[in-house]
Amino acid sequence: MDAKHDVLVVGAGCAGMRAAIEAFDVGADVAMISKIHPTRSHSGAAEGGINAALGNASEDDPEQHAYDTVKGSDYLGDQDAIEILCQEAPDDVYQLEHWGAVFSRTEDGRIAQRPFGAAGAPRTAYAADITGHVLVQVLYEQIVKRDILTYEEYFAWKLVVDDGRCQGVICWDLLNGGLKVIGAKTVILATGGAGRLYTGTTNAYACTGDGMALALRVGVPLKDMEMMQFHPTTLAPTGVLITEGCRGEGAYLLNAEGERFLERYAPNAMELASRDVISRAEQTEIDEGRGIDGNVLLDLRHLGAEKIIERLHGTRELAQTFAGVDPIYEPIPVRPGAHYHMGGVDTDVWGLTALEGLYSAGEAACVSVHGANRLGGNALMETITYGKRAGRHAAEWALSNTTVTVPEGIVSDADSELRELLARTEGERPWKIRDELARTMHENFGVFRREDQMQRQGEIVDRLRERFRSVVVEDKGMLFNSDLTQALELGFLLELAQCMVVCGLARKESRGAHARPHDYPDRDDENFLKHTLVTWHDGPQLDWKPVTMTKWQPQERTY
Amino acid sequence: MEAATQPREKTMKVKVKIWRYDSQTGERALKEYEIEAPEWVTLLDILDLIKDQQDGSLAYRKSCRMMICGSCGMRMDGAAVLACKTRMYDIVQAGHVPVISAMGNLPIVKDLVVDMDPFWEKFKAMKPWLQPGYEEPPEGKEYRVSQERMNVIHKEALCINCGCCVSECNAMESSPEFLGPQALAKGMRFVGDARDGATVERLEDYSTEHGIWECTRCYFCNERCPKGVDPRDAIAKLGAEAVNEGIDRDMGAKHAKWFIKSTETTGWLRETELVPKTQGVISAISQMKFAMGLAVKGKVPPPFPPHVAENVDEARGLHKLVQQQGRQGYEGIVQGERSLARLDHHLREDGEVPPSEGSVGGMGSLTSADITPGEEPTAGKAD
Ligand SMILES: Cc1cc2nc3c(=O)[nH]c(=O)nc-3n(C[C@H](O)[C@H](O)[C@H](O)COP(=O)(O)OP(=O)(O)OC[C@H]3O[C@@H](n4cnc5c(N)ncnc54)[C@H](O)[C@@H]3O)c2cc1C
Ligand code: SF4
Ligand code: SF4
Ligand code: FES
Repeated sequence: MDAKHDVLVVGAGCAGMRAAIEAFDVGADVAMISKIHPTRSHSGAAEGGINAALGNASEDDPEQHAYDTVKGSDYLGDQDAIEILCQEAPDDVYQLEHWGAVFSRTEDGRIAQRPFGAAGAPRTAYAADITGHVLVQVLYEQIVKRDILTYEEYFAWKLVVDDGRCQGVICWDLLNGGLKVIGAKTVILATGGAGRLYTGTTNAYACTGDGMALALRVGVPLKDMEMMQFHPTTLAPTGVLITEGCRGEGAYLLNAEGERFLERYAPNAMELASRDVISRAEQTEIDEGRGIDGNVLLDLRHLGAEKIIERLHGTRELAQTFAGVDPIYEPIPVRPGAHYHMGGVDTDVWGLTALEGLYSAGEAACVSVHGANRLGGNALMETITYGKRAGRHAAEWALSNTTVTVPEGIVSDADSELRELLARTEGERPWKIRDELARTMHENFGVFRREDQMQRQGEIVDRLRERFRSVVVEDKGMLFNSDLTQALELGFLLELAQCMVVCGLARKESRGAHARPHDYPDRDDENFLKHTLVTWHDGPQLDWKPVTMTKWQPQERTY
Repeated sequence: MEAATQPREKTMKVKVKIWRYDSQTGERALKEYEIEAPEWVTLLDILDLIKDQQDGSLAYRKSCRMMICGSCGMRMDGAAVLACKTRMYDIVQAGHVPVISAMGNLPIVKDLVVDMDPFWEKFKAMKPWLQPGYEEPPEGKEYRVSQERMNVIHKEALCINCGCCVSECNAMESSPEFLGPQALAKGMRFVGDARDGATVERLEDYSTEHGIWECTRCYFCNERCPKGVDPRDAIAKLGAEAVNEGIDRDMGAKHAKWFIKSTETTGWLRETELVPKTQGVISAISQMKFAMGLAVKGKVPPPFPPHVAENVDEARGLHKLVQQQGRQGYEGIVQGERSLARLDHHLREDGEVPPSEGSVGGMGSLTSADITPGEEPTAGKAD
């Protein structure tokens, strides 16, 4: 064992850092592991904001926030978890402000709040169009203040389980090379999303679902894995997010014929309809041949140069850099892209998983507050509130329990597995498998799901996993061997894809992000008002778990 | 990367030279790569294609690929850029073969990956966390701060810790202990924050031997920062605040030292910080606001900083802007990114800048220069 701590947090985005701060403040010896420097975490890319019923822009209260979230989740969210989130959110946001978060302000100097999709009040606190960046900075500042140890550029590869509880992590030191074993009384997985399963995604290269796969590999169930949210305006070709703010400012969505096609799908809300509605409308246009190279057009031109520069500066810069398009003169090609994974590691309201000593928080986890569809602004809030709760519980548990053991056998097994991989010289390099996985997931498990396509995708992923068995890492060196870590990430992604397909096939209804217009176009509360659970025994095994309901009975979801 | 999966897209042949380096063996070599790529690619996409298809051992950092995580700082033709912000199309069209190397002023670990520890040590030396003052937030809710007051640190808050400024800093080259542009910009982020109660202690800390006054005012940090933070301006503001607080104990001597250093390195001395130097930045901003307000009503000429006034086009553009906005124009100064974009746009509309030029940002200088990593930079630094 190279080091030992009370609490070890894997991942240093908003969820991981908030957890570490809380664990420290409770009095535990805490450390973080992150495969990229904390401030480089993808939380920093969030633009829109964070939801809390502060009531600064109009009357609001946590109860209303909770109701909007329950309804938005298409009733798949656990209502106890949602109520906790909405109750604790205001104080958690004030806390961030006291630490120094540079929020935008109202006329009278309070935290400004903007309206966001499907919310009954302007509830989204924000910092211009860099909310995530501001939160990552302020959390890192608090980490530095507390001098919390961070194993930077350490890649978590395996969890150590002994005596029926999680007791540490085996990682690869990316910068210098070499396996490192870090023991801990409790481990918190806060490794973020898995958008890299798809070709077009708003997610960073680091979003490869590592924590979900780590949990899966030690027998911990994942929940609602079929629920991947697609964002309607991601930039062709790479999937970089174009903010909802554009549509808020009045941008049009056009098809190849120059028609504002939402007239046919959401005649009242038009471009301001909810994410899933617009994504489906776009995909239908594209599938029926009214797209342009697989895209539709987001037209800002009528807003005028002044407004575009003043209010949508960031968007213009992104469009110019990544699509070579200046939105003042040309419409922006956009399409639906994988954005947020509602599913993840199954936890209780303290972030605890089915395995003693193992916790999870943030996008990696599924508490579940988002159910089948996440509302904009709720993900950042979840990272903070549930990061805090997981940090507190993990620390308290660790402080009242004692030993940490890492059996020698586990380490030597990991070591030989890695040596074997690095020694291999004959075989395929990972990138073709990775690209094929991402492309086929997009085709067969995207905005719309069909029985036959999902089945085909299952077979494709089986074959890709077969190919992956003989994958070759070309870089044999020790220094910054990202060729190695990218191969390990691909292994994680392939397992998650298989889980998603199994859950998608089992959910024979349409709910939230899971849309099956061809065979099961309606929500079916009688049979499917329940979570999918998946565990791994030589392959994904499906199970179900009831949804927790407190106050709200399912109703039809109309906006 | 996504390149391989796009339908029917135009491609081009891209050539780059990359300085490969291995700190364990000490081996270094300039290697040329040629690869077929879609026309939309950035430098980061090119590195990805090379790593996938030609050489899996190429080392570089990346994550967000959208200019926000700060991972991908490196040099192109000797000038620091974000790889994900650098479009290749124009470079290829110009027939140029850029030379890619690791950032400067930081030890190289492998290829384009530098050891960021010294960078973060300086960041930490700034005590970069809010130290609340005496004022309690009302009713346990948020501190009340006006947007105008918040805007004072708007630019500093944009920093993504990429290191591009540090890579090009002249003072750090001659004095590695210098706190440097990024750390000092972070310092300003707290000094300028109304909620922070440690302004004086901070200014004293930042004014010691390797602090504010060691900057040679070469402006390379401003020029290379991909996010419009303008670290040199932040340093000027800190300097002004320090003077304002009477912290300039041996200012005379310091002044002289500066002058010599700055003229040695850059050949000339800039005076942008004239206004804030004598008055302190907060009061300078409020004065600016007052004067700009008058300018809107057409009473007095706007008080442009001297270096802006030198450039007639820019001054004209700025003036027009203030008129058009008909609102407190100081925001245009504080929010540098937007005003520059607007300026750029208006000048183009007026045909004063040909559409192919202008400040797109992030593109390396096209004067080719083979900079060997770890050695004294030789070219590509002139602006
Ligand atoms: C473009 C974009 C915009 C968004 N905008 C909003 C918004 O406006 N409002 C909102 O509420 N939500 C938004 N979201 C969603 C929200 O930002 C994310 O869900 C949330 O930030 C995830 O935070 P996290 O802490 O769980 O994960 P991340 O911030 O992704 O952090 C993951 C961490 O885990 C580490 N890690 C991963 N794998 C390993 C490993 N194997 N070993 C070691 N470390 C590892 C990484 O280094 C990183 O530090 C947006 C998402 C995107 C992509
Ligand atoms: S202006 Fe000062 S801080 Fe900026 S690069 Fe030059 S010497 Fe460094
Ligand atoms: S000031 Fe600019 S160049 Fe320097 S680290 Fe920050 S963002 Fe990068
Ligand atoms: S990859 Fe994140 S800034 Fe370039």
